[in-house]
Amino acid sequence: MADSFTLPLRPNLEKSDRPDTLPVEIAQINEQWGGFRDVNEEVLLAKLAEEEERGGPLDSDEDGDKKEMDTTERREELYKRRAEITQFAMASHMETMFALDFISLLLSKHAPRQAETSMSAFLKQVAPVGSLNSEVVHPPPKPDSVNKDISTVSRGWRIQNFNSAANKLLGAASRLEKEVEAETKYWNSVLAIKDKGWKVCRLPRERQSLGVQYGFMEATPVFRDRGLASLRRGNDGSLVLDQGLVPSGSRFVRVRVKRGSRITGCTKPPGASSNDAESIEQRILQARDSVFEDELFHELVREARAIASCGVTTRQNLIQIPAADDLEILLDLVDTNDESVHTEQESSQDDVVLANGVAHSIRILLSFAHRQNLHRRTQVPLPLTPKRRPNPEYHLLRPALAYLQHISEARYLESFVHDIVTTLRSSGFQVPEFTAQMFSNWNLPHHHSSPNALEGLVASSLKPIESVFQGNLLTPNSVFTVRMRTNMSFPPFGTHYDVSFDLPSVPDLKSPGNLSLREEVEAAVAHLLLLDVVMKISSVEADEEKKTEPDTPAKRWWDPIYPHMGELLLAYDHPEKHKKLRIVLSRDQLSLETYLVRCIDGIGIGAAEGRSQHTETKTWKLQQSPGGLNQQSSAMDFVTAEAST
Amino acid sequence: MHELLLFASVPTHQHAELLQQLAGLTAMQPRHCFERRLIFKAYRKPGVANARVGASQDLQSGDLQRVNKMLNGGMFYTQVVGPVQSTDFADAGVTDAAANANPNPVNPDPDTDTKMDGMDSESSIPRSAYDFDQQSWQLEFRDIPEAGTRSAVTSRVMATAALPRGDIVPSMNAWGYSFVTEYLVEGDMFIHNDIVLNLHRVLHYPTTPGEENQPRHQMPTLQQMAPLEKSGSYVLQASMMVQDGSNQETMKTASQHLFGLREQLKSAVRLEMADRLSLDTRVK
Repeated sequence: MADSFTLPLRPNLEKSDRPDTLPVEIAQINEQWGGFRDVNEEVLLAKLAEEEERGGPLDSDEDGDKKEMDTTERREELYKRRAEITQFAMASHMETMFALDFISLLLSKHAPRQAETSMSAFLKQVAPVGSLNSEVVHPPPKPDSVNKDISTVSRGWRIQNFNSAANKLLGAASRLEKEVEAETKYWNSVLAIKDKGWKVCRLPRERQSLGVQYGFMEATPVFRDRGLASLRRGNDGSLVLDQGLVPSGSRFVRVRVKRGSRITGCTKPPGASSNDAESIEQRILQARDSVFEDELFHELVREARAIASCGVTTRQNLIQIPAADDLEILLDLVDTNDESVHTEQESSQDDVVLANGVAHSIRILLSFAHRQNLHRRTQVPLPLTPKRRPNPEYHLLRPALAYLQHISEARYLESFVHDIVTTLRSSGFQVPEFTAQMFSNWNLPHHHSSPNALEGLVASSLKPIESVFQGNLLTPNSVFTVRMRTNMSFPPFGTHYDVSFDLPSVPDLKSPGNLSLREEVEAAVAHLLLLDVVMKISSVEADEEKKTEPDTPAKRWWDPIYPHMGELLLAYDHPEKHKKLRIVLSRDQLSLETYLVRCIDGIGIGAAEGRSQHTETKTWKLQQSPGGLNQQSSAMDFVTAEAST
Repeated sequence: MHELLLFASVPTHQHAELLQQLAGLTAMQPRHCFERRLIFKAYRKPGVANARVGASQDLQSGDLQRVNKMLNGGMFYTQVVGPVQSTDFADAGVTDAAANANPNPVNPDPDTDTKMDGMDSESSIPRSAYDFDQQSWQLEFRDIPEAGTRSAVTSRVMATAALPRGDIVPSMNAWGYSFVTEYLVEGDMFIHNDIVLNLHRVLHYPTTPGEENQPRHQMPTLQQMAPLEKSGSYVLQASMMVQDGSNQETMKTASQHLFGLREQLKSAVRLEMADRLSLDTRVK
């Protein structure tokens, strides 16, 4: 009803050509033609022709009139019409005023004050207030047919109105039902999220909508604030996670291991954990992971810039870390769904493990940094100062870097000691085993369950890493120890070695102190072993003397004249004819050389020793395979043989 | 150092709710803490306050003035604060032998008023593992709040210093302070950015004859402690420390932080500045 209701602004036009009812027409025909008997086709045709004859010139006259009308006449016509309209309007206004006056006068009997306001001044003068009354006049009873018509019409109207009202109500009901369904669906999914343990709260800026907090409270403020997304309702009631302007794709920090120029290890993107990847839970998880990865990369870049002095370089989306030797770690932030990420490289199993290890360690360390932030935040704050407190970089890369560097250095040192010991063994010396105690300062706690123990475990990995190599030497009661320590967290950076020993046979030997180059350590260890070999050779005589003293006179034996040069002297009775033994020990070979010297008492050195051309040389090379010992005589045999000749 | 403060009174029934609200606001769990607070009063030692007026060669005039000011200036009450653990309180179940022998004293209901007078009260104070000799102490000096500040926060000069462990009275006596009384503060602490929120109340020790003149060496059970405010209401104190009180910029920042907090907590509690004279620490 409301739709079709229009206000009738135009006056109703009387239709002139309304078809008359049949009795009226019959009466008209009777009047005009005097009965139906005289009316036939011919008469009517003749009548039509006559009419045409008369009407034709009339039409042409009208056409001519129209043509003759020029602009002035048109204007006059326009004015005339306007005047007519005005007249009409005035007339209607007057009629309305009359009607108003009439109604006012009529009402003035019952409500004089109110009615007076709408009465015209003229009426007030002419007629006293309340001088007109009305009475209900019973109209004459209408005929039944009229009553029936009226009731039918009004019934039709009512039915029509009822229908339209019913339609509207039904429409509203179905709309409400749909809305209720959508709301129920929405709230059910919100509750499901809440039951999963997510923190659902009101958005701080938009009080009327809900949000879910999935970020990390202790992250850098930028990323902490990103950890809140609003839960919007879709048109069908489905839950929509609205993260605002943040790109919705999931990213992750990829770790690649590069040896030389080849990528040999790469981490895989974290796979979707369940099948319904589009569930709201999955999307929240994905958003959380993205925030974490973004923050991780942000912090990595920040740290990488801070440790640029260690050779770390940063590009826009790439961090390159030269870890050790030819090993390089590449870190970048890539899209999980990026197809180019999955290109297969020639990879070695070890390097994949290494890449995964680095990837896990940086994530564990970021979580640890978050915990440290919480710990720091809940301490009583320092007094406020105008200075801004520095925001130090997290230790994410440095522990990994220290570990890689340390293990590389330790392996190198281990292989060196192993090689030189094997070389000595191949020459017949019974060098005791050395022990390598890697990561000696990492004490694993026994109880892994409590959070403090876990934090302690991670915290211990931030400390300098220490490994100890220890071994006994050939001469009794002599020990050497190499303590190496790698530190990337605070200066002095890098790996430092502390070589200490206990060599009673060389009493005045000083420790080389703190070394920082592996070549220096190599030289120190080799020198130490050389001294040990010299002392071992010279001490054999003492042992043998004890055994053989009762029956034989004292044999001549090698005397360590210049032990630091590896030189021993076999003194003869002749003052200018002594035999010298020179020992050279390196990583892969031990060589013994004997020759005669002509200087007095054999104490000359270098060019002054007056060396003869005649030399006896014996060399033992490093043998990788065990069991090659018997192919050559031992060094002690050689020395004994040389001493007796 | 300066301290800026706002206070609010929290009735008992609101306490639990406010704890939750503060935990939500500060995103941390409340840290429950107990503090022993000993009040010391400064006194003027006879014969110390006569700085030489004549020709002093070893003291510059500025130094002399400062020494004079220190010796003759106003004197203050100071507090010595020692944190204690909840395990330091005597366990109600582990009382000493006398209490064990007579587990049910005269009164069946634990009414503190009847316990105070009588022999039973003394014998029923249980012992704990509390080691008074290892108690750490901190000296807290608080000046009377600054007068005539236009801002709506209480601000006062403060200083804190660590003290040796154990019995602190001889040292304090040597510095010219005498022990007055002690009480216990029980409360929860929250940290909100740079603001420390302390929701606490003051507890009184049960009176024991002979222990009034020195700090207690044993702690009673927590149940025996009576709140100073009989209704058990708490005080919420929001405090912020400023390193340099003469720096207007930082002072303004600090008070603005406090006002921000006040706005945030407006619907829960009304934080306002305290009456200046009620925080007067001067010795009269």
